[in-house]
Amino acid sequence: MSQSIVQKQLNILDYALSSLVRRKLKNCGIFLVFAAVIFLLASFQLVTGALTQSADNILTSVPDITVQQMEAGRQVPISIQSLKKLDKLFGIRKKSGRIWGYYFDEKNGANYTVLGLDFGRIKPGKQLNLSLAHGRFPTAGSEGEVVLGPSVMRNLDLGTRQSFSLFRPDMSMVSFKKVGVFSRETALVSDDLIIMSIDDARELFAMAQGEITDLMIQVGNANEIDTIARKIGDLLPGVRVLTKAQIRKTYQVVFSWRSGFGSICLIASLAAFVILAWDKASGLSQEEKKEVGILKILGWQTSDIMAIRFWESCVVSGLSFIVGYSLAWIHVSWYDGVLFSPVLLGWSVLKPSFSLVPVLSLTDVLLVFSFSVVPYLGATVVPAWRSAIVRPDSVI
Amino acid sequence: MQIELEAVNKIYNQHQPNEVQALYDITLAVEERSMICLRGPSGSGKSTLLAIIGCVFPPTSGRAAIAGRKLSRLPDRFLTLHRRETIGFIFQRFNILPELSVLDNVILPLLPMGIAPGECRRRAEGLLNKFGIDHRSRFPADQISGGELQRVAIARALINDPPIILADEPTAHLDTRLSHEFMQMMNDLKHEGKTIVLTSHDPLVAEHEGVDRIVEILDGRVVDS
Repeated sequence: MSQSIVQKQLNILDYALSSLVRRKLKNCGIFLVFAAVIFLLASFQLVTGALTQSADNILTSVPDITVQQMEAGRQVPISIQSLKKLDKLFGIRKKSGRIWGYYFDEKNGANYTVLGLDFGRIKPGKQLNLSLAHGRFPTAGSEGEVVLGPSVMRNLDLGTRQSFSLFRPDMSMVSFKKVGVFSRETALVSDDLIIMSIDDARELFAMAQGEITDLMIQVGNANEIDTIARKIGDLLPGVRVLTKAQIRKTYQVVFSWRSGFGSICLIASLAAFVILAWDKASGLSQEEKKEVGILKILGWQTSDIMAIRFWESCVVSGLSFIVGYSLAWIHVSWYDGVLFSPVLLGWSVLKPSFSLVPVLSLTDVLLVFSFSVVPYLGATVVPAWRSAIVRPDSVI
Repeated sequence: MQIELEAVNKIYNQHQPNEVQALYDITLAVEERSMICLRGPSGSGKSTLLAIIGCVFPPTSGRAAIAGRKLSRLPDRFLTLHRRETIGFIFQRFNILPELSVLDNVILPLLPMGIAPGECRRRAEGLLNKFGIDHRSRFPADQISGGELQRVAIARALINDPPIILADEPTAHLDTRLSHEFMQMMNDLKHEGKTIVLTSHDPLVAEHEGVDRIVEILDGRVVDS
């Protein structure tokens, strides 16, 4: 009995496939539009997912507390001596200074992020959560050695060369030696990044001896971060104290707003498609009505006709989903989500040129599936029923 | 009796402004292994009577028993199942799906029965062979001749091996030679044990030697039998 039920569904599926082929023009149209909608929806979700993943990577490398000196509402250098004033605060596990600045490459019209670190205190690979495609990180005392992001390397046209020079503000040049290149996994933060020793960064930006841009504080007990941040603010007048939670919130606000806006646009386009699908499925031609009449008088039940429509919808939506999602994957991983990058990336927050590494998760796939295939199947139920109730005597 | 109708009435759109009574107190009995012809002008009620005999819908009132089963109380679902098992239809223009192959047209009634494709093919090829069109089995139905189309329609009506064959104006679009051929095939089927009910204006059908009885219908009533 159950074997016969399965065989019956297989027979109906076979008939549905032949029916799809017979109406290939109409079905190809629906397939193409649906695949395009799924492509857009999945691309958007994959780009957002890749950015969120990269943002999470950045956040793991952000110190618990970042301290910056402010003057007239703008950030100015802070003395490394300020660190000493924090010695009396309990709960600080580690503290160090860094120089975080931007170098404008006039020839290429590109902006690079320069991070000067005290390699004696900071291990970039471990503490900043950065990985290398090849090479090594500079070590303490290795002056002039740098690690570059892939975009920087490309812009400077380094090729196999190890050495290059950058301009200081007075147009004199400083030479560096490339010892490593960042991998794509941390592209969001490292694609335009140059890491060097804090002394080399000071030299490049012509900062005074003992000056840095930020103080980085690691706290022993995460519950104490806000308390210690407040105490630092009291201890060092005129500073801005940023906690990790505040930075995370900034990223979330930016991504949530942008992805929310994009999602609304895409869901609107999906709704438009579902209406189109309804309309297409509702409009039975004379031939289709006649065919249903013939099948019914030959002994097909209303439920059998609905099963044909169901299988047709499953095949169209399933194929559209596979093709749309695969194209979205190619679009994001090979072409860096070029259609959505301008929507999701803002210069003020992220650099314009970097590679996206999409993350494939079952939850995300199911989310796109339930926002595309399920509404489509739902939208075709009533038209399927309407087509199935054609009276069998209509062909006598 | 294979078909028994007693005081059967059929009213379309009952209790509505466009109510139409198509049949009035039809009483008819058809024996097994016989062939009858329902004859009458257009609109006389032949097709409605054929639809009731074919278990397409039950009568509005009266008693109808087809192949031993009373139709009056059967829900639509069971009416369809009974039709699938007991009736083979041959339509006026054969109603073959033109884009399907000959073989696929013939096996259509078997698909919702859950019969395996191999068995469907075996039965269909047997019938196509019997009617001499097995060489056309892979052809699209819109690429075969009228005579071949007629044989495909008969093969499809027989694929479930039903005891009753109903044919609605089967020769209306056939020339004399094909009409003769058709009636000869019906006669052969009668001798194989099928009960056959035809509707036709065509004297060639009504006067065929295989037809056991002619039932004249006029304005929804049996006027001569």
